[in-house]
Amino acid sequence: MQKPLCVSALCPYGAVECPLWAETQRLQEECERLRNLSYTDHLTGLFNRRYLKSAIDQEMERTRRTGLPTSLIMIDLDYFKRINDTYGHQAGDEALKWVSQIWRKNLRRIDIPCRYGGEEFAVILPGTRLRAALKAARRLQTALVNSPLEWQGREVALTASFGVDSYTARDNLTVRSFVKRADHYLLEAKIRGRNQICYQQLETAKPTPEVTMDERSALFGAPALPATEITQPKQASKKG
Amino acid sequence: MKEITLRNSGPVTACLSSGKGGVGKTSLSVNLAFALAQKGVRVLVVDGDLGLANVDVLLKLQVQSTIRDILDRGADPLEAVVYVEPRLGILPASSGVPDLADLGPDDHQELGSILQSLGDNFDFVLVDTAAGIGSSVLWFNTFVDHNILVLTPDPTAMTDAYALIKVLSRDYHRKSFHLLLNQVKNEAEAKQVYDHLARVASHFLSLDLEYLGGVPHDPAVSKGVRDQVPFIKISPRSKAALAISGYAERLLTWAAQKPANRKTAV
Repeated sequence: MQKPLCVSALCPYGAVECPLWAETQRLQEECERLRNLSYTDHLTGLFNRRYLKSAIDQEMERTRRTGLPTSLIMIDLDYFKRINDTYGHQAGDEALKWVSQIWRKNLRRIDIPCRYGGEEFAVILPGTRLRAALKAARRLQTALVNSPLEWQGREVALTASFGVDSYTARDNLTVRSFVKRADHYLLEAKIRGRNQICYQQLETAKPTPEVTMDERSALFGAPALPATEITQPKQASKKG
Repeated sequence: MKEITLRNSGPVTACLSSGKGGVGKTSLSVNLAFALAQKGVRVLVVDGDLGLANVDVLLKLQVQSTIRDILDRGADPLEAVVYVEPRLGILPASSGVPDLADLGPDDHQELGSILQSLGDNFDFVLVDTAAGIGSSVLWFNTFVDHNILVLTPDPTAMTDAYALIKVLSRDYHRKSFHLLLNQVKNEAEAKQVYDHLARVASHFLSLDLEYLGGVPHDPAVSKGVRDQVPFIKISPRSKAALAISGYAERLLTWAAQKPANRKTAV
């Protein structure tokens, strides 16, 4: 945490009721207030987009140094325009506040929830692998489905779409391309019909198998081993 | 940053890896180390299986502090080394600590400087790595001068050894690998498996694999593991012990020659 420049409540020169000292303190408090404002989204109280960028940058650097992955969940509220059109913009704002509150309750203290803009959100999960990030996304999804917004005595059902991605020390990504990749999975979740979670599937994430079929058959195809120990690669028999 | 040559007059460093588990890496590492010490050189065995260490189990060691304690709490590396013979030290790792199995780049750098300073007290440093192709296995393999691949003559061990060789040569530019065959019927079988793997590696990876030798299947080996005593000590005339002694002799020649994979670092 950022500490004030001076911790003492007294003027360093010992003056009683020093006006300069009082002014310095007032400015320090103002500075602190503005600093908080500069990275907070005023409507939801979550971090804003500016903070998101610097936090991702920092977490990615941590990943490169410690080897622990950083995960990112991009979220978009489904049919948000419809809420605005049906119930008015005030209801829309309430919905944004409501989901922020629910999600914050369902995240860990180390997670960094941000409002990305409009009805889009982003959560940074420091030191978290993809599997754990997916679990977190499912928790956010379930929490939202179970907590409809109460608006003027009516229940408004809310859902969201989620794109989840992980950055590992092996990836060569910038902040922008990492966000873009997670955003891509969010888009996929939208296209697949909303209220779901999309992420990089293991099959596509896996690099080409270390030992190719050609190498396998060279290793075991030739009769260099005793006959009893020759095993045909499983994939080959499947094909046949 | 400029390139400097490390350990110009330091110890010969080698690691024993396999890809597949259960092929006898730890047993062979420990016995090779004993054989080297018997020949009069000072040897340090590093338990490189940082998650599931078992060099200490194999030798019934009283472990004071481990690699984890050195990294986490700044324990003195020199005090962590357990001497089982006047010339043979063991640097133990901790067992059942999954989070340490995957060290990050910063930790590896730290471990590197620890091993380097410890190495000054020894002529040989042998690292017994974990199975698999985890980040620490890869790191140990790039840290040392010589890469020894341990495998048994069965298809899974061969595939996994080949996969490890492939990754190390393709992604880490390692070019020199010594194959040590374990649990073979005889020298001919060891040579046959080596020839075969060498042909495949030459064809697909343009690598010339080197042949260290074969350790015959021998009841003395499993007895040594059960009794927690190196077979080279309790059965020095067994076939396996004689083979290991011969390979220790070969390792000694590495001290004389310039290492093939001499590391340069920033």
